[in-house]
Amino acid sequence: MNHPDEASTPVPAHIPMHLVRDFDLWAELTAQGENAYAWAAALHQTTPPIFWIPRLGFLPGTWVPRRAEDLRRILQDPQTFSSVGLTPYAMLLGESWRLAPLEIDPPEHGKYRALLNPLFTPKKVEALEQDIRLLANQLIDEVITQGRCDFNEAFAKPFPTLIFLTLMGWPLEDRPLFQHWTQTLIKSFDLQTVTDNARAITSWIRNHIAERRANPGDDFTSYLLNSEIDGRPLTDDEMLGINFLIFIAGLDTVTSCLGLFFRHLARNPEQQAQLRANPELIGDAVEELLRSYSIVNMRRTVTCDVQFGDVMMKKGDMVLISTELANLDPEVFDAPAKVDFQRSAGASPHMAFSYGVHRCVGSHLARRELRIAMELWLQRLPAFRIADNSTPRFNAFGVFGMEDLHLQWDLPAATAETSNKQAASA
Amino acid sequence: MKVLINKPGCVGHARCSNVAPALYPLDDNGYIASSGFNVPAGQENLALRGARACPERVIQIRDTSTEPR
Repeated sequence: MNHPDEASTPVPAHIPMHLVRDFDLWAELTAQGENAYAWAAALHQTTPPIFWIPRLGFLPGTWVPRRAEDLRRILQDPQTFSSVGLTPYAMLLGESWRLAPLEIDPPEHGKYRALLNPLFTPKKVEALEQDIRLLANQLIDEVITQGRCDFNEAFAKPFPTLIFLTLMGWPLEDRPLFQHWTQTLIKSFDLQTVTDNARAITSWIRNHIAERRANPGDDFTSYLLNSEIDGRPLTDDEMLGINFLIFIAGLDTVTSCLGLFFRHLARNPEQQAQLRANPELIGDAVEELLRSYSIVNMRRTVTCDVQFGDVMMKKGDMVLISTELANLDPEVFDAPAKVDFQRSAGASPHMAFSYGVHRCVGSHLARRELRIAMELWLQRLPAFRIADNSTPRFNAFGVFGMEDLHLQWDLPAATAETSNKQAASA
Repeated sequence: MKVLINKPGCVGHARCSNVAPALYPLDDNGYIASSGFNVPAGQENLALRGARACPERVIQIRDTSTEPR
């Protein structure tokens, strides 16, 4: 594989060899390309319920529970399976702030989470509906007459970034900067690049905090400045940790989902037609696509020796939380590799937003963005397909997603004429 | 039919409320505002679907034996 740091860690003595599977899950998924999720679904037939892999990208060996039920028990038991200190950003900078509330365990977790919850309720998201539609429509306006677009650059990246900046009350003109940071921070495997970008982002956030301290507004940072934990204001490190988390959690994830969802629709014109004819199905389709194409892998650290299923886990072991394996579990979903918008996914739980106290705080916003994007693209554009002479690439390092996703559609004759005239007069 | 909700187990997925907003109201944090209720006649199926939609499985239905499933 093309991974620079590929090196297995020795299998610890307490792990029985029959539970070891000698592959890197992310490298294998990436190598599978557009077949990745079918391949992941097949793992349920070929691996033990909980197995050990000796490497995962640049990360060391980890347990991989594949059953949804086991993953549920792990996520609902933060005492045994801790979230503390799993991302490298503060450490790379030689600093000690924490990604709050993501990397804080209960009961302390609840204090930070309480600050964020009121901002991201279904009601708050409902109030953003028109803003989100407007942004989506503006981005579609820019490409609709072209008959073809680089979907990531034209839509999947700018759409959530603009919503994020609007929501945070941060300057919209900094969008290119944020898009660049998102890509380099999460998708890069060069530690120097990650470090440099983490430094740039933290500087930007620290400057913004200082600026808002001097000139309070009605933005997110001002809200945090006015908030209290245990009857005291937040420290600058706490402010930074929360802002940084919102940044890394809110941008790349929706971009990645959009890429996978639209690749699926582009490859399956009959399902596009189904949704165009029955737009009321789009909400269920979003749920089914979230289930079918889950993109997030998290980890937990075992806090004490524990017998879990057939496996003895030792204090300090890592456990992978693979949302895609949980959501492709045949014990929960019949024919899990099949994408079926009428699975009534709207009312059947999936794990795309995790379970337990760390449930994605932005889940309602993400669902709304995804639904609106699908509604407007399907409503305003004719059937779209993967563009001629292009090959989308699936990438499973970090947050999973699509690269080089170019879409193409037929222009109505009149529109083609107008755009030709515009091109001629330009 | 009665709905019992383990309120401390709610983490705010709000899927119950998405299915049946009137039966499963949310608080200002977007978490379930109710710890249980008697299901109004005729809304049994809706209550059941809301309960099944909970990813954390904190909503239980009592007296289901007399209801069509």
